Amino acid sequence: MSLGVNSMKTSLFLIIVLISGAFAGFIHGSANLALVEPYLDAAIGIENQNLISSGEQEDTLEFWVEYEGYRQWQKGGQLLAGVILGTSVGALFGIVFALSRNSLPGNNDLKKSLILAGIMWFTIFLVPFLKYPVNPPTVGDAETVALRGILYLSLIAISGFSAVGFYKLSKIFKGNKKLISLIGYSVFISVVIVAMPDNPDEVTSPMELVNGFRIMSVLAMSTFWVSIGFILGLLWNKFNPNQQVTSLN
Amino acid sequence: MSQSRQINVSKTGVPTIAIIALAVIFAAGLFVVGFDQGHIFSIAFGEQAFDEMFIHELTHDMRHAAGFPCH
Repeated sequence: MSLGVNSMKTSLFLIIVLISGAFAGFIHGSANLALVEPYLDAAIGIENQNLISSGEQEDTLEFWVEYEGYRQWQKGGQLLAGVILGTSVGALFGIVFALSRNSLPGNNDLKKSLILAGIMWFTIFLVPFLKYPVNPPTVGDAETVALRGILYLSLIAISGFSAVGFYKLSKIFKGNKKLISLIGYSVFISVVIVAMPDNPDEVTSPMELVNGFRIMSVLAMSTFWVSIGFILGLLWNKFNPNQQVTSLN
Repeated sequence: MSQSRQINVSKTGVPTIAIIALAVIFAAGLFVVGFDQGHIFSIAFGEQAFDEMFIHELTHDMRHAAGFPCH
């Protein structure tokens, strides 16, 4: 009798992951259009008023026609950018889910996927957000954009990789001692947050606008993580790409 | 007389090729939405792409909403 076992169904796995990410990204883009866009319009309105009052821009019909044109382009881009970003982050989510699936708590793939989405929402979105919260247009000096990009990505990477590291560490411990890893991550990331440089740019916009923008963007981003956890979990449960039909002769 | 049966086997191994493909998609998508300032189109259109920033404008609102530094 021979037992032939092939590897995970690669194509099915890739398709499930990419579809999940694209759909969740589309939902994220739609949520942004509904929740975040009014704040973006208000902030860009302030930017335009500043340009006109400082004399950098004349208040002409031509200016407003051009402005409306590119704003429509930017708003339309929300959905496409949502799909691209969703597919991208979904790819990372798919890798982590496939590698950690057997270790995740939960008795089915939907629960496992939602739990992982919650963990990743916390570690690679919320933690970096606490140090470097989102800002609307009108905030940010073009000369510091590279530095801000490096700082933001660095904190995402440090938080994500340290979470994996402390999880690996938790495997050494048993029972309640596993909490040591959770406490270790909390202490470590708190120190990192305090130690990393602040955003170099001053917030000069009205704080009511900035805070509203931040709250709505957190809500919209959270819809992405709930969606990706839900969609990938459902598709994994249904198509089970790690299950292989094998012949016994 | 031979007999053929089928069983379902749950695999834990993740194909390396799939991980590589997804890692490339992750990096490329992140760059497009979060960081491109004309770099990608400059391959075809040269310096003009850095002035027009086609992808930057397309992803502008998502950049702000998702926390990427935009300008």
